[in-house]
Amino acid sequence: MTGEPDIRITTTVNDVTVEAQVEGRTLLSDFLRHDVGLTGTHVACEHGVCGACTVLVDDQPVRSCLMLAAQVDGCRVDTVESLGTQDDLSPLQSAMWAEHGLQCGFCTPGILMTVEGGRRAGLDVRQVVEDALPGHLCRCTGYQNIRNAIESYFAQGVQA
Amino acid sequence: MKGYCMKPGPFRYIAAQSVEEALDVLASAEEDVAILAGGQSLVSLMNLRLARPDIVLDINRVPGLATVQADDSGARIGALARAAVVERDASVGRYVPALITAIGHIGHPQVRNRTTIGGNVAHADPSSELPGLLACMEGTVTLASASRGAREVGWDEFFISVFTTCKEPDELVTSVNFPMAPGWRYAYDEVATRHGDYPLAGVSMGLRVDGGVVQEARVSVVGVADRPVRLSSVEAAAAGQDASAALARDMAGIARTECPASDDAHVSAEHRRWLAGTLVSRLMASMVDAA
Amino acid sequence: MRTDTDRPGLVGSSVKRVNDPRLLVGRGRFIDDISMPGMAHATIVRSTIPSGTVTSFDVADCEALLVLGVDEIAAATRPIPCVWIAPGQEQVEVPVASRQVRYVGQPIGIVVAPSRAEAEDAVECLAIDLAAEDGVADSLQALEPGAPLVYPERGSNIGVEFPIGDPSELVEEAMASAAVVVSRRLRIPRIVPSPLETRGVIADWNPGLEQLTVWMSTQTPHHVRDHIAHSLRLRADQVRVVAGDVGGGFGSKEHLYADELLVCLAAMRLGRPVKWIEDRVEHFTATFHGRDAYHDARLAMTEDGTFLAIHTSITGNLGAHFSNVGTGPFRVSAVMLPGPYRLPVAGASIRAVFTNTTPTGAYRGFGMQEAAWVRERLVDEAARELGMSAIELRRKNMYRSDELPLVTPTFQEYDSGDYGRALDLVDARVRAYAPAPPASARIRQGIAVATHVEFTGLGPSKAQDIVGFRLGGYETAVVRMEPDGSVFVSSGVMGMGQGIETTLAQLAADRLGVPLERVRVQLGDTGVAPYSAAGSIASRSMTVGGGAVVRASTALREKILRIAGAKLEVSPSDLELVEGQIHVKGDPRTGTSLEELVTRAWLGLDLPEGESPDLECKYVHEPLNISYPYATHAAAVSVDLDTGQVAVDAYWVAHDSGVVVNPMIVDGQIMGGVAQGLGIALFEKMLYADDGQPLSTTFMDYLIPLSSDVPTMVMDHYETPAPHIPGGMKGVGEGGTIVAPAAIGNAIAAALPEIAEQILETPLSPGRLWTLIHKAGLHDG
Repeated sequence: MTGEPDIRITTTVNDVTVEAQVEGRTLLSDFLRHDVGLTGTHVACEHGVCGACTVLVDDQPVRSCLMLAAQVDGCRVDTVESLGTQDDLSPLQSAMWAEHGLQCGFCTPGILMTVEGGRRAGLDVRQVVEDALPGHLCRCTGYQNIRNAIESYFAQGVQA
Repeated sequence: MKGYCMKPGPFRYIAAQSVEEALDVLASAEEDVAILAGGQSLVSLMNLRLARPDIVLDINRVPGLATVQADDSGARIGALARAAVVERDASVGRYVPALITAIGHIGHPQVRNRTTIGGNVAHADPSSELPGLLACMEGTVTLASASRGAREVGWDEFFISVFTTCKEPDELVTSVNFPMAPGWRYAYDEVATRHGDYPLAGVSMGLRVDGGVVQEARVSVVGVADRPVRLSSVEAAAAGQDASAALARDMAGIARTECPASDDAHVSAEHRRWLAGTLVSRLMASMVDAA
Repeated sequence: MRTDTDRPGLVGSSVKRVNDPRLLVGRGRFIDDISMPGMAHATIVRSTIPSGTVTSFDVADCEALLVLGVDEIAAATRPIPCVWIAPGQEQVEVPVASRQVRYVGQPIGIVVAPSRAEAEDAVECLAIDLAAEDGVADSLQALEPGAPLVYPERGSNIGVEFPIGDPSELVEEAMASAAVVVSRRLRIPRIVPSPLETRGVIADWNPGLEQLTVWMSTQTPHHVRDHIAHSLRLRADQVRVVAGDVGGGFGSKEHLYADELLVCLAAMRLGRPVKWIEDRVEHFTATFHGRDAYHDARLAMTEDGTFLAIHTSITGNLGAHFSNVGTGPFRVSAVMLPGPYRLPVAGASIRAVFTNTTPTGAYRGFGMQEAAWVRERLVDEAARELGMSAIELRRKNMYRSDELPLVTPTFQEYDSGDYGRALDLVDARVRAYAPAPPASARIRQGIAVATHVEFTGLGPSKAQDIVGFRLGGYETAVVRMEPDGSVFVSSGVMGMGQGIETTLAQLAADRLGVPLERVRVQLGDTGVAPYSAAGSIASRSMTVGGGAVVRASTALREKILRIAGAKLEVSPSDLELVEGQIHVKGDPRTGTSLEELVTRAWLGLDLPEGESPDLECKYVHEPLNISYPYATHAAAVSVDLDTGQVAVDAYWVAHDSGVVVNPMIVDGQIMGGVAQGLGIALFEKMLYADDGQPLSTTFMDYLIPLSSDVPTMVMDHYETPAPHIPGGMKGVGEGGTIVAPAAIGNAIAAALPEIAEQILETPLSPGRLWTLIHKAGLHDG
């Protein structure tokens, strides 16, 4: 009943079907990191402010520390690991690299997923930079190069 | 010992599949049940173990609660409608644009993708935007229970104090209603330290203006007391007056006297009262210009 | 031969950072990303009261793998030594656990369970009695008669008092002779460092080898290792500390906390790996804070604005005990108080005070942000009183480049540069700025500058010893060319997001004539890296650590050329090493391939007499002096008179941090530093109730800047190579944070001349600013 992994869920994580037994209290962030083994999603505050844990649930950027794993039963979840590989970075990742949009890199996965969610929702660059980016805390960069990277990415002709 | 916590305590998780099932759980549970809607406040409080429910009742899979309807009689928002959905709803934009403005101040888009209108109002945070707008618009909240059916309560009855409403433990918020009557217009504005933070003060204003004369006014403030407050003296002073800059100044002045407020570590009571006045004056200016 | 300050191809180039692709695809390896078989999870039990005694610690109802309480911990550990000791400081080590609690957040136990959630469940079942006593949070209140005493046996809350710089008679004489003395009480509140990755550790004890391996998010792996070994009574070689990716440090991860030690102890007791990740709420009380000082400061000058003297009386808040660096930040405030100005007389008195708060230690800017706030606010106030331009007043008093090097009255040997040029560059930018007109008459605009000289790159070891800082100031680099011609670089400095892995590789690649991708930089593992006493603190990774890499790479290059010279029968000085080929200068057809030469050298072949076969050079760089970069910043702000809100509309930086190895990275350091300074200026303050209960414990009540708060910055660079540093680099990690609060504060003061003299304390939050505006009658209505 409590404290037992008694909830069965089936979810699609980065296009792969995942079946798991979870405790009711398991957070989506912990499920992704420690049960699925996708540690690219970072946890920095666990009270929904910093945005480091942002992932897409059914294409929408959400704080994965404020959702229970049980809630994504039947949902599609996308994490930073879905975007590109080290040898084949996505255009957004390439732009972040070229513009020095990361320093310690801890907040970066969440920001990438917010921008990816914005792309999927057909937002324009202004909406992403002015409305969505302030939903993230970065302590290293001062944000200027992150904004430059997002602008450079959108300037390449982003398709929703 | 209350420790430092970032993981929820153990609880039983129930995902209700219908309103009836949810109400049955609420009616039969003898333990502490937390209703999980958007979870943007609840899960945060559970992570900190400031909320320690025995049962978490997830209503996200309940059909029929995410409706958004708006027309010239107002907006009726199903309890599970996401803030982000309402924010983009064309009919809400047309008939109750103040609701869009107020929602735009709730956190950031990532939070609004999950936040529900019902959950936001039921949480009754005294600094929260929507309770203030609800108070200004003489809005109502619909509650349902297994044994007593549905009831609709006015904002004044609903909001009792900090995080406290008249909702009984066996009740579920099913909709939040922002009524519009002919001739009324509403607006919302706030001052926060950074965009997306809880406001230092947030003011909702409703005006019915005819021939350049304010027929009726409604003003509410959040962030200043343990629940939204209506500034009845400001409203009374506006009635029957020319919608002018002088009136805006008068209303602001009265707001600064009438508005309750207390000091906290960040902002003085006086500052909050003055902010309420400033926002009243700014809203008057923008609403009269827009008329 | 190339000299140390020559500018080869890669140095000075904005190459993309070598670690980024890994971080961008989610393959960083931060502490919490590591999982080990059998790993258990810890949570730390902490005091919930500011002052009192643990009267009982009952574990009877607690289901856990292991619980250690105060007494057990105290018996099993030796106190952790302080490293920066002030004159007269009696407390030179701090017990790992004690029944006497002096701040909320003080560790009093550890609970280990199969998961973190279960560890937190177990804490709920602990029965701990705490007998509360009165506490005090503010350093001035702690000095009032009758204030609660943090250490009753001491009879006072003063931890230590001492002067710095010119003697008080000289200072008072100068003050008395001055036509104008600007005198203010300024305050710099407490800052919470807030790296996005909190602290974290995994400890694993191997009982067979009797070896403890500790994965930790730290800036100082060797230093931490030494203190773990000391406290747990192990030999140094029994402890290996491995730091992987570090998600920001900013000073908060530069020493061993009791928390990490408790995890090591638990792992040894349990015989299985134990992980602890600091949660964000813990970070607000368990990680050392920065700043927290009052300055009663005076700046004296003649009628025409010629500076005569500066002095500050610092009341610094130590918190509940001396941190590892203790009075260090207050001391650095004092010695860097004169800044870039010709100040014939300068001094300070320091009074360090115990309170029932989290200890204060290192945070980006370390005392220098406080000094800049004090000095630069006084200079702008002086300009206002004299009716002079603040820029002209600065220009008049700044050291000219031909006056350098020199020793200031506070014993700083300023090395090189042209301070006025940074001021001129920013001045030109400001003059060209045409702000958009304000949206309403209730918005005021203001522009102002602030300037500073900065102390980077600790430091000659003997100089550290003189000031009581018990950390060696050198750095060591090992540079090896492998048999396949690739290059391995190892250093005791640490990467924490500043890009040092890339810039060290640039230095080595350039000198060894190999492409950047052939260089691997290995940091952070005490099992591999050469010993580093101080690690990555004090903007020293590039100046001291980089200087070592320059020298080791140069030595290796010379060895390779000697071997090649013998083989080709030419003088090594006639050879050059370019793109994997060694040939006679100007004649690319001659020569040998580097790879072939290297392969044969490692076989022990083709070596001249007396040359060893290993192509590995180690250099211990003991810097001859600190390096002193400097900058001028300017900010343009808008202030809403009705709400007290401030927007920073534009921001300019002109700086000289010596030779710039990677301009893109240097820009990034400054931008990020300015953003932290903007947070200090406008938002950030760790709040306590009067008795020491913390009031800022989440990111909802401690606000750090968002993208929407930080403007796009305009930067001007120029370079005066550091004369004492191989490669000519000066540090750049902290400058942005040091001077930004003063630039923004001065701009706000410029916007609000009616209350400028009261702009003395940060953050200039809406609440603080509106109250000043309101009292001055500048309100609406």
